[in-house]
Amino acid sequence: MKSFYIKRIVSMLITIILITTLTFSMMHSIPGGPFTRERPVPDEIMRALNAKYNLDDPLIIQYLNYMKGLVTFDLGPSYSKIGTTVNDLIVSGFPASAKIGLMATAIIVIIGIPLGVISALRQNKPIDYFVMFLATLGITVPSFVVATVIIYFFAGKLGWIPSFGIENKLGYIGPVIALAGYSLSFVTRLTRSSMLEVLRQDYIRTARANGIKEFSVIMKHAIRNALIPVVTYVGPMIAAILTGSFVIEKIFVIPGIGRHFVESVSNRDYTTIMGITVFYAVFYLIMVFVVDLAYTWIDPRIKFGEDK
Amino acid sequence: MDKNKFIFIEQTGEESETVRPSLTYWQDAWRRLKKNKLSMIGIFTVILIVLFGTIGPSFTGYSYSDQVNKYKNLAPRLELYEINGEYFHVSKDYNVFRVTSDGTLIDRLELNPLNRDMLKKVYKYTYGDDFVILDFSYNLLPTKMGYDYNQTLEYKGEVVTQPAMTKWNKMYPFGTDGLGRDLLTRVMYGARISLLVAFIATMANLFIGVIYGSISGFEGGKLDNIMMRIVDIINSVPLTLYVILLMVWFRGGGLMNIIIALSSVYWVSMARLVRGQMLSLKEQEFVLAARVMGVSKSKIIFKHLIPNAMGPIIVSMAMMIPSAVFTESFLSFIGLGVSAPQASWGTLANNALPGLTTYPYQLFFPALSIAFTMLAFNFIGDGLRDALDPRLRKG
Repeated sequence: MKSFYIKRIVSMLITIILITTLTFSMMHSIPGGPFTRERPVPDEIMRALNAKYNLDDPLIIQYLNYMKGLVTFDLGPSYSKIGTTVNDLIVSGFPASAKIGLMATAIIVIIGIPLGVISALRQNKPIDYFVMFLATLGITVPSFVVATVIIYFFAGKLGWIPSFGIENKLGYIGPVIALAGYSLSFVTRLTRSSMLEVLRQDYIRTARANGIKEFSVIMKHAIRNALIPVVTYVGPMIAAILTGSFVIEKIFVIPGIGRHFVESVSNRDYTTIMGITVFYAVFYLIMVFVVDLAYTWIDPRIKFGEDK
Repeated sequence: MDKNKFIFIEQTGEESETVRPSLTYWQDAWRRLKKNKLSMIGIFTVILIVLFGTIGPSFTGYSYSDQVNKYKNLAPRLELYEINGEYFHVSKDYNVFRVTSDGTLIDRLELNPLNRDMLKKVYKYTYGDDFVILDFSYNLLPTKMGYDYNQTLEYKGEVVTQPAMTKWNKMYPFGTDGLGRDLLTRVMYGARISLLVAFIATMANLFIGVIYGSISGFEGGKLDNIMMRIVDIINSVPLTLYVILLMVWFRGGGLMNIIIALSSVYWVSMARLVRGQMLSLKEQEFVLAARVMGVSKSKIIFKHLIPNAMGPIIVSMAMMIPSAVFTESFLSFIGLGVSAPQASWGTLANNALPGLTTYPYQLFFPALSIAFTMLAFNFIGDGLRDALDPRLRKG
């Protein structure tokens, strides 16, 4: 067991190094460099800029410096926002993104899983059709459409919520719903189908035959097994949601990581793109790791590292 | 035993087994798919959308890039004011149009900048020798609050406060955008781009994924280990992130770049699926038989293994197309999509965003198209899964 975790952590580190190398080489192989503008920049200024950001060093030195910075959690300066480091951007953006993300995750788990279970238990009844109709709608309508429709009706026509920003508590409602929409529908569908699968299993029939109350058959025997695929999905999803959605943050003008990322993409701010990508990858890998830990808790039959 | 206790029964021909025509795997799958109403609706919708995108633009009479400056931001529903037997439409950005009673636009009235009184909020439009006067100061100026109408239109001394009727825009059924381009044509053209990107990217993913997966699964051992480690590493970060990085690396949009970016990343899930299929298929007797007969590896893979794994491959392909449409619209939405004047549904939606509160129809149509396409492909995918999944087949 212990050796399994060590192996996992080592492979995570290798993955992070590879991803960083990949992003680094991609961002540094773009022709023109980060300071090329439509209007030609005078040579002296270009040289000064390159010297300031150490871009005149050989590429390998730059790479080693970047990796050295990474070990000490220093992601370097932003190229387009003068005087700010990428760390500043992440530190300033993460709380807003994480707050909205946490609320969305809570909604997804608290509403999505019970809805899926209910519609599986009432398969082919009106409530099942209704829930599945909503869930299908949820995965087919893109989040940016949901977000704009929310702004149009609830902020514009009805004026219930502010149309942008999160200074006001009500401002959270729009982004949280828009962010949760897709995953909520997905989790509901996933829970339903996996619950249906579990309910067909022999051990559920055995449990019922033994006279165990239906409630405890569902709660104790069925749900726990049905949740395994859901956990597989939810883990990485939390990582994706907590670090902010590019689109939602752009539409609702939320100063989160996602918006910094979109801005850095349009500004060609290569260090920020790199930094946020690496941050994102690390966060994601950690969440996947946590999911693996959660497996052994949900399903004690799963024991990693003993299969060989 | 007493022989008399046994009676011989007459053998009749009627009790022979009922014979069904034997169906191949694909005939059987098609038979099941046909029974699934939602899937058939999905297939029908996809055919309609494809027709809409391919031959549609040639029927609208406009091109996707034609700009008619005087007809910009026109809604699909026109409110008509009737004065002295003439019909006028006042657009949201205070342009006055002459319209026939059935909703066909005749012309835009000229507005001389000198006749534009910004303080009193009264505009005088030239119509022949006369003027059409638009007063939109109601409920805007502090002295003119509490009216139940916001604007009045005056022509030849007659003042109208309410539109007489609302008609469909005959010239531009979906309205026009901020540059006076026909939205119907642009949505059709967007369908073309979005579906083209989705189909090509899916085909490329299919090609790479199937070959990668089958080699990895069939060879096994060290090669399999290395190949799957690569897939694991690619998969350890959300795939959208790679697509964005690639688009940044390409320095912006362009149809080709999007297709390359999408197809260089999303094959990993296909590769995993195919590898899984290969692992179980290669242990079967027919493969052993083929090997014994000295069939070459590539022939075993392409002639025997891949056709047998086709069911799950097709199901996952049907699911890949909508996700490619989704990703493409998402990319266009954050400004990494196709470049103007080309339009995909994502760019159309993105362009509609700034004017959302005034011109909601500009978002409505592209959004609706995306939703319909996603829904149709999802129905087809669900149906295909039911039709091709061997676990659901009766013995």
